[in-house]
Amino acid sequence: MNNPSVDTHPLSDEVGQEPLLAVDNLHVEFVTRQGLVKAVNGVSYTVNAGESLAVLGESGSGKSVTAQAIMGILDMPPARVPKGQIRFRGTDMLKLSDQARGQIRGQRIAMIFQDALSALNPVFTVGWQISEMFRVHRGMSKRDGMKKAVELMDRVRIPAAKQRVNDYPHQFSGGMRQRIMIAMSIALDPEVLIADEPTTALDVTVQAQIMELLAELQRESNMGLILITHDLGVVADVADKIAVMYGGRIVEHAPVHDLYKNPGHPYSKGLLESIPRVDQKGQELYAIKGLPPNLLDMPSGCAFHPRCPYRRDNCVTDVPPLYEISGTRGSACHYYREVLDGTVG
Amino acid sequence: MGRYVIRRLIQAIPVLLGTTFLIFAIVYALPGDPLQALAGEKRVDPVFAAAMREQFHLNEPLIVRYGYYLRDIVTGNFGTTFRGLPVSTIFEGKFQVTFKLAITALIFEAVIGVGLGLWAALRRGRWEDKFILAITLLMVSIPTLVSGFVLQLVLGVKLKLGTGIDFFPVAGVQDGMRSYLLPGFVLAMVSIAYLTRLTRTSLMETLRADYIRTAVAKGMPRRRVLGRHALRNSLIPLVTYLGADLGTLMGGAVITETIFNLPGIGQQLFQSVYLRENPVVVGIVTVLVLIYIVANLVVDLLYAVLDPRIRYE
Repeated sequence: MNNPSVDTHPLSDEVGQEPLLAVDNLHVEFVTRQGLVKAVNGVSYTVNAGESLAVLGESGSGKSVTAQAIMGILDMPPARVPKGQIRFRGTDMLKLSDQARGQIRGQRIAMIFQDALSALNPVFTVGWQISEMFRVHRGMSKRDGMKKAVELMDRVRIPAAKQRVNDYPHQFSGGMRQRIMIAMSIALDPEVLIADEPTTALDVTVQAQIMELLAELQRESNMGLILITHDLGVVADVADKIAVMYGGRIVEHAPVHDLYKNPGHPYSKGLLESIPRVDQKGQELYAIKGLPPNLLDMPSGCAFHPRCPYRRDNCVTDVPPLYEISGTRGSACHYYREVLDGTVG
Repeated sequence: MGRYVIRRLIQAIPVLLGTTFLIFAIVYALPGDPLQALAGEKRVDPVFAAAMREQFHLNEPLIVRYGYYLRDIVTGNFGTTFRGLPVSTIFEGKFQVTFKLAITALIFEAVIGVGLGLWAALRRGRWEDKFILAITLLMVSIPTLVSGFVLQLVLGVKLKLGTGIDFFPVAGVQDGMRSYLLPGFVLAMVSIAYLTRLTRTSLMETLRADYIRTAVAKGMPRRRVLGRHALRNSLIPLVTYLGADLGTLMGGAVITETIFNLPGIGQQLFQSVYLRENPVVVGIVTVLVLIYIVANLVVDLLYAVLDPRIRYE
């Protein structure tokens, strides 16, 4: 890493050390006219260098809000963070000054957004937008910045990068635009990369290419990757571990293959079952019944109980803690054992 | 680009024909005899009247007279008044006055309107924003007739009497560009208010855009996010408004020029309508339409400069 100012602990590679990025009991709420919206309610997860964490959940589950809190790009107000920590190499970023935070944002923790067409500025060339990182953060000249931009566009495999560096975002295809977004985010070799649904707006074939590219870049530079998605199919090959979010909480976290093999929360199970499969041709597609919870009026007890096939009486009244299944797994379901065994209650 | 300009200029021809014919028809449809108006209370000599009617083709049908007019216009001849003066002589120096007035107003509008609008947008919901919105509401509600006379009295007359210094000349153009300050501001007032609100809305909308969030996530300083990433995008609708407004300002100059006694085209237009000097009225309108068309063309070309997504083939 090219960050001489990194406050790396001398023992940072040893087991049990502070992870690269740790979200700890994070709460985020929004003050709206309709009332207080509790978007994130005590989320914790960690990412180490070279590790990929997939954060899974439907719209409104709090996955993007958590990411924006990590980046420090939430509009405050209306948003506020009443509780929790976001530690980057052991330092709680929520306690840093705006200026210190600005030194991390974009340079050491970078982010890729969903729809590259709207996320790129339409009136500047892609070269201008990529080289801006070098000009503003590294004080490079226009010419050197442009050279760097071409190198980066080559690195994310945009054909004829040299000729296309002066084109505008609308002149590229969707996949190429997302590559430009990626080039821009990795410009300064960030230690953590957050990708917020990076493939949602793309064709399926292009999705696979973008995921491959992300995985490859991560391997090359040993970044910590947080992949936010609602699409289970996308993450299997890239992610090491998965955190499933529902109603602003993490309902299950597990190494990716464990979760695929045997989900430990009814919601994860429902998500897995709703992936269309070729061998189910002709059968009705499975869908989790009911609607996502209303953040203004969360269900009592377990937020998932109105939609849960395993529901018992205490689910309506008691909020389930995150039960530890094993050292690397946890589930926030009172009846996780039955879910794991596959016996519907 | 070149082909686009030519095509746009060709498209302007029917617009020009339509507007001049309309104004031609309306002016000549006004009740009363222009020759009688010339003579005032006195009786017009029938021999003289017949000769004049012959000379100005007043006995011909409207469409034929319009044809004669067009023939003259193409050769750059705006015709002669009923008093025998060439219309172009009457124009002399007057378009410059009105143009200076309109440009002064446009500058006031752009600087104050955009400035206030940006400020309000950045202070959205706070007292500065509410204050600016209230002021602009007041500005659109007061007719130019009122604001013109009040400012003339307060900033022109009273201020001069109070301090002994003539900050803002209240009439005429003998003080050079300084003479245009007060009338320019009065003329611009309503437009300032509209532009303030347009700027405020436009910037607020731009600030909600995804690419602004991207710029913040890139770690760009706030000043850069606003000044580079947001401003350029929010300028696009403002340029349209400013361009179209140049025409409105030149038309609106009639009242302002009368209040401040500026010898411009607005005042001339008013007098000519009053005196039934039809060739002058039609001539002025023709030139105004031309200016309007050219201003809109310039706006459309500026679009392509501001927004690369717009290309003219």
